Amino acid sequence: MYLLIVYDVGVERVNRVKSYLRTELHWVQNSVFEGEVTGSQFKRIEMNLKRIIDEDRDSVVIYSFRSESAFKRNVLGVEKSPLDVIL
Amino acid sequence: MTRKNYYLTTDGLLKRKENTVYFLNKDSKRPIPINKIYSIYAYGALSISSQVLNLLSREGIPVHFFNRYGFYTGSFYLRETLLSGDIIIKQAEHVLDNERRMELAKSFVRGAALNMKRVLGYYGLENGISDTLSDLESSGSITEVMNVEARIRSDYYSAIDGILPEGFRIERRTRRPPENMTNAMISFGNSLLYSTVITELYNTQLNPTISYLHEPFARRYSLALDLSEIFKPTIIDRMIISLIKKRAIKVEDFEHGMNQCLLNDSGKRKFLAEYDRRLGKTVKHRELGRKVSYRRLIRLEAYKLIKHLIGQKRYEPFVMWW
Repeated sequence: MYLLIVYDVGVERVNRVKSYLRTELHWVQNSVFEGEVTGSQFKRIEMNLKRIIDEDRDSVVIYSFRSESAFKRNVLGVEKSPLDVIL
Repeated sequence: MTRKNYYLTTDGLLKRKENTVYFLNKDSKRPIPINKIYSIYAYGALSISSQVLNLLSREGIPVHFFNRYGFYTGSFYLRETLLSGDIIIKQAEHVLDNERRMELAKSFVRGAALNMKRVLGYYGLENGISDTLSDLESSGSITEVMNVEARIRSDYYSAIDGILPEGFRIERRTRRPPENMTNAMISFGNSLLYSTVITELYNTQLNPTISYLHEPFARRYSLALDLSEIFKPTIIDRMIISLIKKRAIKVEDFEHGMNQCLLNDSGKRKFLAEYDRRLGKTVKHRELGRKVSYRRLIRLEAYKLIKHLIGQKRYEPFVMWW
């Protein structure tokens, strides 16, 4: 499964959300992460995010796709963080 | 494969920050999600801190180091978590008992030879591998088995030369240092495969130092050498032939020196990108009835070996079926 996560959370929690997601997914740009996950990883991410955010005020949107090939990725302007594995 | 191999070809620093890994080099600072790393291959000069090693070991991620020439120098081999005294004893039993050791050693050579035959067959090349292979059954010592293997391999390389363009022919296998371009790629690829096999062995109960075809040397993961024999033709050799034939790799991708030839930065990058793509390629497994990646095939080979050692199922080497 391929995930795209965007979030809009209170400034006190934004750093915690960001640093948590950095351990799980690739950073794309401010408040956006993406990456391939398994079913159990997906559940874990959901659970951990729920624990961090304030569910009355914050909002996290998770788009999930069956696979990476289920959508097209187009970048206009600067690719802030390329996803290649050869560094 | 949600976890990926990362190949660090530039010089830099591997750092731990906020429980994830950062790779810093002179142009950029890249966070790498810790849950997305399967293993790390370090080709450049890499500075590494104990904090990052602690994190990597917690997550079970090995790091393989290579020197400037692309030769394997060592691994950050993690504390073993899959321990089984029973398997180690069984592994040792199969080395100490000559008959059982020969059986396994021959299987590895047979597997390697049949895979070489498949590679040659794909290009419609004539070969005498089956004839030489018939000598295998009668050999009574490891040295004889090794000799059969060496003969097959040299026939195999000269057969491959038949389809390679001028300049890319192997002529003679040379190593440390390799003397021409294809030899350079073979050496580079074999070290790469060897470390991939080490990663897979780490994830099983097998002890990587107890081997059958190769002598169980000290200071070497010789079981990984045994298993990589089987996969060299399927993964590395086919890839090299295709890189050359598609002209994906060119003379400019090498560094030519006095009596030696090595892949340069652009060559390494091309080679690694293609290698990574191939490891992730999947084939339909006949027994399992599902798709498995090449990387997974290596692990399955280790599992088959375990089954053989505990007497559950006789080991049959992997031979490409497609």
